[in-house]
Amino acid sequence: MASVDLINGVVPPRRKASPLSVWTDRHIDWLLVAPAVILILALTIYPLAYSVWVAFVNFDFQIPGHAFVGLQNFEYVVEDPIARRSLMTTAVLSVSSVALEFLLGLGLALAMTKLFRGRGVIMLILIIPLFVSPVVVGQIWSLILQKAYGPFDYLISLLFGPTQISWVTGSPWKYFALITADVWQWTPFMFVILLAGLTSVSPELYEAAELDGVSRWQIFWNITLPQIAPMILIAVAFRLLDAVKLFDIIFIMTGGGPGTSTYTASFYLYQTGFQNFHLGQATAGSWLFLILSAALIMFLVRRLLRPEPV
Amino acid sequence: MQSGRRHRRRRKGALSFDNLVRILFLGLFLVFLLAPLYWTVVTSIKPVDDFMNIPPVWFPDHPTLVHYVAAMFTYRGLVGLINSAIVSTAATALSVVLGTMMGYSFARFNTGGQHLSFWVLSQRFMPPVAVVLPVFLLYRNYGLNDTRIGLILIYTVMTLPLSAWMMFAYFRQMPAELEEAALVDGYGRWGALWRVALPLALPGIIAAAVFAFIFCWSEFFFALVLTSRKAFTLPTIFRGFLGFQSSSYGEASALAIVSLVPSMILGMLVQRHLVRGLTLGAVRG
Repeated sequence: MASVDLINGVVPPRRKASPLSVWTDRHIDWLLVAPAVILILALTIYPLAYSVWVAFVNFDFQIPGHAFVGLQNFEYVVEDPIARRSLMTTAVLSVSSVALEFLLGLGLALAMTKLFRGRGVIMLILIIPLFVSPVVVGQIWSLILQKAYGPFDYLISLLFGPTQISWVTGSPWKYFALITADVWQWTPFMFVILLAGLTSVSPELYEAAELDGVSRWQIFWNITLPQIAPMILIAVAFRLLDAVKLFDIIFIMTGGGPGTSTYTASFYLYQTGFQNFHLGQATAGSWLFLILSAALIMFLVRRLLRPEPV
Repeated sequence: MQSGRRHRRRRKGALSFDNLVRILFLGLFLVFLLAPLYWTVVTSIKPVDDFMNIPPVWFPDHPTLVHYVAAMFTYRGLVGLINSAIVSTAATALSVVLGTMMGYSFARFNTGGQHLSFWVLSQRFMPPVAVVLPVFLLYRNYGLNDTRIGLILIYTVMTLPLSAWMMFAYFRQMPAELEEAALVDGYGRWGALWRVALPLALPGIIAAAVFAFIFCWSEFFFALVLTSRKAFTLPTIFRGFLGFQSSSYGEASALAIVSLVPSMILGMLVQRHLVRGLTLGAVRG
């Protein structure tokens, strides 16, 4: 590798070098990394370590003192039916959103592989949602789905007559509403990555298959899909790891309600810590959630991500 | 790009059916995508009287900007906007400087091996809720809650994996020969980085900066927990509309437009780098 020369071949500068500059030159690799590492340590690793302590004590703004309570905080979270339910909701919402985003994104990518007039403009429109704040997305969909005066309710009443359905609070519609907002925002993500995959498939593969008279479905199934499989994995992994953190659109669209029915894991922990001030329990819960997500991260990231996949 | 596919010979009938499906699907999706944006724009310029109309007013007869004024002043949108701009800009600058240094070190010296680079990457996926509580308590001890500095620091850390990995990928695909030539010419390694590598990497640095900026601009969760009356950012203002009455539809829409236009324009400028930005350089677009 060419960069080996950079590492070993330290050529003394023309000027007489001071000892300091020799030292900084020799240790450039770690000096470049140090500030960032220190900042990460200070703002994520140190707080995490501190929170280990918080998870084992009584840390409640309403109760003075920090008595050691052992595993009580963890027990509280594990036994809390709302916590279990919110974990379930997180799983169901994230898996169904990501699945839909994948299917729609793949469809869009297939529709956009061909060059045609206006493709550039459509491309620009399709990526808009990626740059919108999730909170704004939630706000926009709340406006659309507003009962009685929103445009969606009006269109439905034109088609099916007036309904009593409340789209953001009624069950199961509230779940569809949340999924729709997520799909609106993140289908373009899948689309962009899958399109990059599709355009990098060598045309010769298709030509050879055409010559052999293979049917188009078989081409898709036996050539296209295997060729873009690495991209599919990366796209799905990225989305899934983000989807399990779902918070913003819940906060804005349903506020976790009605009751606690649309709590996600993140939302539950936020409520426990910052609305009910049970910091010990929220921290214990955060640790459980972190461990669950770390398992998912290790599995997906280590396996799939290289700086430049083949 | 994929010109090979255009040369494929197909029966005429199959071709037109294909195109029909394609156009229909694209058309429907574009409607799904644009209708909410259109509705938001229209709502933001509607007079209040139009809100409770059935059928809905698809375009107001007397468009007005009152909601923008109210959003900026009554709902303190202007303060949020200024805070957002300051925090996002500062955090982006810090993140890109530190991330570029780190990415360069990873790419050229393989510092820390795979472990360090993957550790940094894994920070990108960490659920914010897992760190926000201890960070909140830490900030309380140092008086950093509800300050822009506090938010800038946490946003820098949150965007570091993005900028470091984007630059890591960028430097890797940049040949090292020029930097080696600089070493031969008597520059130190810092000189080679400063005079040779950085100018060449400028397009990559700008792209990384834009993605970091968009992240900070859109971020809600940390801002919600770590700020309140002083350092609040634009996205946090939307919590005021939770369970809102019809009278504030206009202000909510106006704020939404104010928030999405800047990041939308920025994002479109770096469209070429989009795939790298979204996957932290894992996929070359």
